[in-house]
Amino acid sequence: MVDFATMIAGFSDAFTLWNLGFVLFGVVVGQFVGAVPGIGPVMAMAIAIPFTFGMDPLAGIGFLVGVNKGGLVGGAVPAVLMNTPGTPDAAATALDGYPLSKAGKPLKATKMALFSSVTGDTFSDIVLITVSAPLAIIALKMGPIEIFALMIFTFSVLSGLIGASLIKGIIAATLGLLCGTVGADPEHYTPRLIFGQFELYDGFPLAAVAIGMLAISEILRRLAQSQGRVRPAVDLKDTGHAADRRVSWAEYWACRFTMLRGASIGTLLGAMPGIGSTAAAFMSYAATKSASDAPESFGKGNLQGIAAAESANSAVVGSNLIPLLTLGIPGSVGAALIISAFMIHGIQPGPLLFQDQGRLIYGLFGAMIMANLMNLLVGQVGLRFWIKVVAAPETMIFASALLLCIVGVSLATGGLFGVAVMLGFAGLGYLMASFGYSVVIFIIAFFLGPRFESSLGQGLVLLNGDLTGVIYHPIAMILLLCSAASLVWFLRQNQHAHED
Amino acid sequence: MTLRKTLAGLVAGLSMTLASGALADWAPKGPLKLQIGFAAGGSTDTMGRVIAKVMKEQTGWNVIAENKTGGGGLAMFTGISKMPARGTVIGMGVNMPILVNLNKRPEQVPFDLDSFDYLGTVARAQVALVARADAPFDDLAGMIDYSKANGGIAVSFDAAPQKLLMEVVNAKEAADFRFVSTKGEAEGQKLILGGQVMAGFSAGTHVKYLDSGDFKMIAVGNNSRHSYAPNTPTINDLGYDAYVDPYFYFATTAGTDPEAKAALADALAAAIESDEVQKVVRNVASTDPLNLGAEATKAMMVDGLQNVGVLFGQ
Repeated sequence: MVDFATMIAGFSDAFTLWNLGFVLFGVVVGQFVGAVPGIGPVMAMAIAIPFTFGMDPLAGIGFLVGVNKGGLVGGAVPAVLMNTPGTPDAAATALDGYPLSKAGKPLKATKMALFSSVTGDTFSDIVLITVSAPLAIIALKMGPIEIFALMIFTFSVLSGLIGASLIKGIIAATLGLLCGTVGADPEHYTPRLIFGQFELYDGFPLAAVAIGMLAISEILRRLAQSQGRVRPAVDLKDTGHAADRRVSWAEYWACRFTMLRGASIGTLLGAMPGIGSTAAAFMSYAATKSASDAPESFGKGNLQGIAAAESANSAVVGSNLIPLLTLGIPGSVGAALIISAFMIHGIQPGPLLFQDQGRLIYGLFGAMIMANLMNLLVGQVGLRFWIKVVAAPETMIFASALLLCIVGVSLATGGLFGVAVMLGFAGLGYLMASFGYSVVIFIIAFFLGPRFESSLGQGLVLLNGDLTGVIYHPIAMILLLCSAASLVWFLRQNQHAHED
Repeated sequence: MTLRKTLAGLVAGLSMTLASGALADWAPKGPLKLQIGFAAGGSTDTMGRVIAKVMKEQTGWNVIAENKTGGGGLAMFTGISKMPARGTVIGMGVNMPILVNLNKRPEQVPFDLDSFDYLGTVARAQVALVARADAPFDDLAGMIDYSKANGGIAVSFDAAPQKLLMEVVNAKEAADFRFVSTKGEAEGQKLILGGQVMAGFSAGTHVKYLDSGDFKMIAVGNNSRHSYAPNTPTINDLGYDAYVDPYFYFATTAGTDPEAKAALADALAAAIESDEVQKVVRNVASTDPLNLGAEATKAMMVDGLQNVGVLFGQ
């Protein structure tokens, strides 16, 4: 246990002007690269890592944490304003954010995203600072069998997002799972469906698929619809009401349970390595929609939908550090990059970290809290800037966005192969959207499929092929029962909806 | 000193001066790409990016690090093997995935060992078989006995050669080990800490858990012992004729101008000798930097291919 004096010393390290300056710089960079389609905070962090070597560890890690957190807020901006999310978790924010923007309330939509993102992030940071040790123990108990059951539960909750046509939903999910199987199989490393392309050995590059399906397909659709007319990317018609440009306290407070649910889902999923913010954002969204008295208002600009998605995906970032700091296990690519920054300074995240580096860790906690506040402040200014940007003619905005996506994917995937994959998936996304197949369902299945497959394979080895052995795993049993209950509930809801 | 020796010394000195003059003259035309065969965030990526940064500072060349993922370096080296040999690209990968694929599916891999000019290595990963500190065995013999007595135990691995190494043990002892594949070392360590598997492989990051008392070493997977655990035998020492020796290595397209090749190898060697890279390698890979040099790197790859054949029971 770290003594009180060390904690205070750590916090005071974080509050030096020098360190705060780096955190602020990180937040500004993060919000910018998050908001610019195609680049994203992960690439910015990867580029910055070698330069943190020459810096003081707290300043370097504080900067990276700032980039990571800033990226979350920035990532919601293109999703809400232009319906072009750069990451799949932001696609959940776009579901209600974009309709609200289209209704002439872009500032309200982006502000709700900002406030709920900071709320979720702060919640998970508090959990990290106060109860990371017990949560890490729970995360350790979640072996492959439990993770498999959790994935089943996730899919059962997400089935609420399928929409009107069950068949089209199933087709979209199956296509997503099929694309997720491309690459070496996780058990025997046998290449599947790669057709001689070794670039596909690790599967389709995630960044290329996400940006192609979500951002480029939307850009193509908008450019196709513009038919040569010059019009702004986002129609910022002034409704004349000041209330449409801000989020009132009453509106924020009305979302408190939604944000609490989202932050809790995000924190729990974030503490378990490898599940990620996409599942959290969509689970929170689906759960909020199911619990709502007016589920039909979702997808049409409901503030609760934005709050659900943003609070959950942001909460994942803080709690991703729980397994990282306590066990030395990164929960995401962003966390893996932060681990690299620790390691190049000779600091080994893991069981001895709090004992050996207590002061640094509490300094990091201080930096995280300050990064949240700065996110709020920088976001308030930044959002106005982005809204001015998207008021430019859409041919200009979308052409620039297209170029940035190509550059970003080329950087992230190491060349033109990734760009070709991105364009292929953009075509698929365009066709799917045109024929009423859910791109969101496809993306969720694609992202969660490989994790589902590997936990199934691992679980079967651990059970020695005997599925009845699952009864000796109480957490898995509870999750499977919850999944069954959720599916029954969903089917009954669906039946009632059809009867109505 | 005889005249002959003096002359020989002078000639050697002169030729070295000329050679270094030539090296100083050669510079890549345009940017030099250091392609890393793994994704951002791992140990290969971190070392590669720092080496690129130090090379740039030391040589003044425009060195750009970029990730080219796919099959543990297979996609990246495929690209390099097809490029014109201009000395403007260096690939950084790990030997084992390349050697496994060259052995297992040579007809599908569009290159062979001769498709490259080798430039050096930066380190050898420390492969260890570890178990949780409270595991009911302390060495490989004990682990085999325990597995036999309990109907088999689960062992985690994150690279095919580690599994093959244990298959060699399994074949000889009928130990009935079951293998759980993980995506990366960290996931395997989580399974060991969580008690879901009894033992597993790690390639360096286990050292922190040894220090904290959470893990114990069962055996070494490399063909020589580790400096931090000199009493732990290698699996090879224990009579199983196989090992896993993953090297982080550099290569460029075969047929590169010898002058360019020497300049690239020297620039890499100088960067690896810098304090910054030495420290980063120790911190990231938990091992001392090790540059075998151009010739020995090629020999390491040739020997490695033979050893992979042994792992596959050939």
